Amino acid sequence: MNPSTTNRAPTATLDPPTLRLSNVSKSFGATRAVDGVSLEIPRHEVVGLVGENGAGKSTLLKILTGLHQPDSGVIEAHGTAVRFRRPQDAVAAGIGVVHQEQSLLPNLSVAENIAMSAVASKDQATRFGFYRWRQLNREAAEVLGRVGADIDPRTKVGDLSFVDRQMVEIARALRVDEIVHVAPLVILDEPTSVLERDETDVLEREIRSLKKLGSVIFVSHRLDEVLRICDRIVVMRHGRLVADRRTDSVTEEELFRLMIGKESRAAGRPATGRAEAAQPVLEVEGLGRAGHFTDVSFALPPGHCLAIVGTLGSGREELVRAVYGAEPFDRGTVTIDGEPVRSWSVAAAVRKGVAYVPSERKVEGMVGGLTAAENMTLAHTPRHARRGPFVNRRSRARLAAEWFERLDVRPNDPMLHLDRFSGGNQQKVVMAKWLMAEDLRVLILDHPLRGLDPGAAETVNAQIRAAAQAGAAVVLIADTIEEALAMGDDILVMRDGEVTARYDLSVDSPTSLDLLGRMV
Amino acid sequence: MTETENPVHPQATATRPAGRPGEGATYRRLELKSLGELAALVVLVAVFTALNPGSFATAVNLQTILDQAAIPLIVGVGATLVILMGSIDLSVEGVMGAAGMTFVLLSANSRDTVDLGLWAIPVALAVGVALGLLSGLVHTRLKVPSFIATLGVWFVGLGTATVLFGEAAIPFLAEGSLQSWPSGRTLGLPNSFVLAAVVVLLGVAVGRFTRLGRHAYAIGDDEEIARDNGVRVDRYKLLVFLVAGGCSALAGVLASLQLGAGSATVGIGTLFLTIAAVVIGGTSLGGGKGGILRTALGVLLLTVLNNGLILSGVSPNIQSGVSGAVLILAIVAAAWPHRSRLRIVK
Repeated sequence: MNPSTTNRAPTATLDPPTLRLSNVSKSFGATRAVDGVSLEIPRHEVVGLVGENGAGKSTLLKILTGLHQPDSGVIEAHGTAVRFRRPQDAVAAGIGVVHQEQSLLPNLSVAENIAMSAVASKDQATRFGFYRWRQLNREAAEVLGRVGADIDPRTKVGDLSFVDRQMVEIARALRVDEIVHVAPLVILDEPTSVLERDETDVLEREIRSLKKLGSVIFVSHRLDEVLRICDRIVVMRHGRLVADRRTDSVTEEELFRLMIGKESRAAGRPATGRAEAAQPVLEVEGLGRAGHFTDVSFALPPGHCLAIVGTLGSGREELVRAVYGAEPFDRGTVTIDGEPVRSWSVAAAVRKGVAYVPSERKVEGMVGGLTAAENMTLAHTPRHARRGPFVNRRSRARLAAEWFERLDVRPNDPMLHLDRFSGGNQQKVVMAKWLMAEDLRVLILDHPLRGLDPGAAETVNAQIRAAAQAGAAVVLIADTIEEALAMGDDILVMRDGEVTARYDLSVDSPTSLDLLGRMV
Repeated sequence: MTETENPVHPQATATRPAGRPGEGATYRRLELKSLGELAALVVLVAVFTALNPGSFATAVNLQTILDQAAIPLIVGVGATLVILMGSIDLSVEGVMGAAGMTFVLLSANSRDTVDLGLWAIPVALAVGVALGLLSGLVHTRLKVPSFIATLGVWFVGLGTATVLFGEAAIPFLAEGSLQSWPSGRTLGLPNSFVLAAVVVLLGVAVGRFTRLGRHAYAIGDDEEIARDNGVRVDRYKLLVFLVAGGCSALAGVLASLQLGAGSATVGIGTLFLTIAAVVIGGTSLGGGKGGILRTALGVLLLTVLNNGLILSGVSPNIQSGVSGAVLILAIVAAAWPHRSRLRIVK
């Protein structure tokens, strides 16, 4: 099917577009996540949305599905301006979505999950608030049949495999065209990242048949897939829509370049005196965990930074969490300062001088109800700020003030509850907590710059370098490839749990394209 | 699947597609889990029958047990719905007191002359619903954890009842009024139990077939996801607290009838029994898993236990301690297969 002819079919020109965004923006604190995006989704078109992690795709999708309200801009569905205050509003406008993170309720049955948003907005399968289970199950079976999924609608979602759950999510999104009688828009947010090849084929077929009914927004990191499935591809970078191309007029290479902005090359840096004799601080040998990552090995001398790049689901998060002892590994060894670790746990890791700055700061890294100063000294209370089991408040305050200064935390008040700071500044406080450790040996950073503005990012990077100079080994999961190239001494590329490439930046100077090519 | 309050379809086994071995195992496992409680009940009955030949397994004692089970059964319906949402309702005894006093003072009694007859019941229920509304509003609007909100409402209810009780003589219900109804028999069963059974069946239907019940499960499973799916979380939370208030009020009326007099503390001991029954039944304190039928089983288990201990001659002085210890034992034994659910409430 030739995309350009589809778009110019007579129906498409008569009908208003399924969806039109004009100048939509959304900020979180100082970060402009979506910046003046204008986009038109005509009927009978599959539009691919690509961009790096953090380019604003997810925020844009959340606006389209009623989870976020835009700060400014106009959204029109079928020619009329709409405001999505709640998810149901988006459903009522004919927008169905498959979220990147699974959004099913594990204790409820498949049928109930498929029907949930419809039931909540008064559907014919309920009568006076009563469920008609027979009908719910029959409808669910029908829509599951459409995606070729052989799943009993009465099964509890929690008992399904990950792939089956993904199929349920897709089936649920497809149901939107039965609920509302307008041409639906189905949004698929990285639906294929966990699917097997033949399941992806099923999805592709389904997308083609959806195209006859309405339109599709398809988000994926697999650019070959995007090029195969979509009629048109839009590229986001730093919250802006930077390109809008017909599929037949763009190549995979071009898309890469548009996503990244410029082709950055690792600055050939002087070998930082990699003393071959120096004993590695952190040595990982043949580390593996079934289903997550296999056979990962690396050795880090003091002062070296290893940047790990890979897409979501490449296993890099699981890998670093395993090194920190927060998640298990089945095989291989972790050696710190020449001592292999036994019975690895977070507590053991902290005692050995391993620090971990998680990406889910809110969940894992901070205690919102305590003051910033208390949070900073939670893991390590430096000796001079301790008196027996008691904390010396005054020297803690002095210490906190010093780190606030160093990291330029704003507002400059360590006695404020951590909840009250913006995301970026919370990040700095969480970083300080680990950086102030006197015996810091290994610093593991999971997306340390996420949500930081460029100035804050530079401050944090400077502190990371300072920690490395003081002799710590740094393991970094970077937000972007440039960040990895700028900070890393070595780069490890991961895909589907395997190391696909490694570069020693004192010898090699790979381009960002080289890295991307190994990632996807 | 029956005991987990999910829809039951007789053809579920027949139409299950072949080649999905995991599923059959799931069904069977769930049945085994709930068999644990049933087995415990059977064992208890057998033990007490053996210990007390001629006094435990008699028609009279059976009626006593069912009569005693009526109040926790009714309260258990509301309590289960609340706990399914991942919240908790501690206000039970206060609501029972306030509703019970309201009912007694508005019926023919030894103190005043107001007599609304049967209309006293809906007024008493309205008092309970109003207290449920208070709990629900404090919880959803003021964002106070349900634990604290209902702890407060417990004492608000108790205070209301105490004020109603006043300084005057104890208000006794007049003879010949509804007073003798609970102990009357229908088809050989105590009327109080028949009433409780009807409430339980209604509760089961609510839990399985209504938006209210299913949304309670969804909220308890994951509030954020439920909200993302368009569930109006606060509204349904509020509704469930109203239902729970109504259940407690009905239990208060029944308790007052059984007592034959007004008392602010008519509900004493009910909270412990009900929460224990919910947990023993296997409803997760974290929400999302369990069901009202399970709670009913838990209530029967505890009632048989209490009754059996008394018949077995355990001194009343140590009864309470024994009950507590046995509760812990019962939870460990009966709920062993799903102990992972017994997480503490947030």
